[in-house]
Amino acid sequence: MKNQFAFFLILSLSILLGNDFRPTFLVLNHFDRSLSNVDSTMVNTFSNSIFEFDSTFHVLFENIDEYENPASSYMVTIRDLGEKHNVDYILYNRIKHDKNRFTLDGQLFNTRSGGLIHRRKVDLINYLNGQINELNMWIGNVAGILDNEWQLNRESIMFSDPEDIELKKTPLGAAMRSLVAPGWGQSYSGKKISSKVWAGTESTLSLAILFSYLKYDEAAKSFLKNLNLYGSSDDVQKVTGFRTQAEIDWEKHKKYSELAIAFAGATGTGWVANSIHAWIIGPRPYKNIYQKWESQKPNTAG
Amino acid sequence: MIQNYKSLVFILLLPVYLNGQVKLSVNTIPKKVKVLLDGILMGESPIKNERISPGVHKFEINKKGYAPLVYDIIVNPSQAVHLDFFLNPIYQIKFKTEEVGLVFELNGTQQWDNKFIRLNIEAGDHLLRVFKLGEIVDEQTIHVDEPKKFNYYLKKSLSED
Repeated sequence: MKNQFAFFLILSLSILLGNDFRPTFLVLNHFDRSLSNVDSTMVNTFSNSIFEFDSTFHVLFENIDEYENPASSYMVTIRDLGEKHNVDYILYNRIKHDKNRFTLDGQLFNTRSGGLIHRRKVDLINYLNGQINELNMWIGNVAGILDNEWQLNRESIMFSDPEDIELKKTPLGAAMRSLVAPGWGQSYSGKKISSKVWAGTESTLSLAILFSYLKYDEAAKSFLKNLNLYGSSDDVQKVTGFRTQAEIDWEKHKKYSELAIAFAGATGTGWVANSIHAWIIGPRPYKNIYQKWESQKPNTAG
Repeated sequence: MIQNYKSLVFILLLPVYLNGQVKLSVNTIPKKVKVLLDGILMGESPIKNERISPGVHKFEINKKGYAPLVYDIIVNPSQAVHLDFFLNPIYQIKFKTEEVGLVFELNGTQQWDNKFIRLNIEAGDHLLRVFKLGEIVDEQTIHVDEPKKFNYYLKKSLSED
């Protein structure tokens, strides 16, 4: 019993392996422009199917949409063609070009019933090897093979979603750079002059703060020194001198303190203003359009 | 009892009804787009294994930020129909000119004479016409491929040089 079962299994497998179960297609390509290597590309790409080509038979499918029941209109023809070529399916592909667009109309007929079983219509902007790519997608859909690269290739012609557009340079990038170093954002935006102006202004203001602080520090130290000398001296003339000097130092220390605060305020405000300016003039996509038509010369004829 | 009878008839007739219908798949770029068939929301794309009766149908495809698409189609009797829709994004365009007395016209429809204007237009090529004192002085195609600003300049005439 076991031997009989094993024999039956081996026989079944040999029958299965002996037969080629790949679906067979008769391909009727109708292109208004010649597309080189279409047939060989199809054969190589879809090795799970067998293709036969007949370029002479396409006129019947021209205006399929004009019939009330187009599928049944061709049933006899489809069955005859299927019998003649011994194929399972008839694949009719029509590509029409219109300026920069093309349409692909794909129809798949079953030769056993003669009916239209699948249809795909694509209308899109022409792209590099677009026709072959779209044919691959259509036939891939029929043959059960889908390559992600075809989809990516097709998507490459589409305009980007506004939210997906990533600019290399942005106003925010310019503002952040200027916040780090005044003038950097302007330089990043290609505004060399304003970059130098901002960098120069902020550097000058920073130096002014430093200078004011040093002067303030010097005046404060000098004041303390003269204050000590004033306290420790008994000489009237010297005491007067130390007092006068201490008073001068006090005024200087006050003045430079106020100046340092004012310059610091100006530097801080300028720093923020420089960052805002960098954002305002920041890099944004633009295009200059110039008049194409020739300007008319003034009519000087008498 | 009547309810059960109706249910039974429905179940029995369902294969007959479905047999006359065509299997429908709708793929869109971008994905997750609302698809309306004859005014009824089918759902978001991609749509697979839906059913549609042969005849004339109207598809409406909508997504925020994209130009809406209305597509009339004759569905032939077949086992399956696969539709691909490609939506075009809408970009915000700024149009600026320093020239005086110009009137601009886009695609033969929209007109303006402002020095600065913001427009929401579909990505792609658009026909720009420029008029001065009622006469056309320029016509060219502008390519819109991202949100950007267009600055328009007239050529200097020889007398101005």
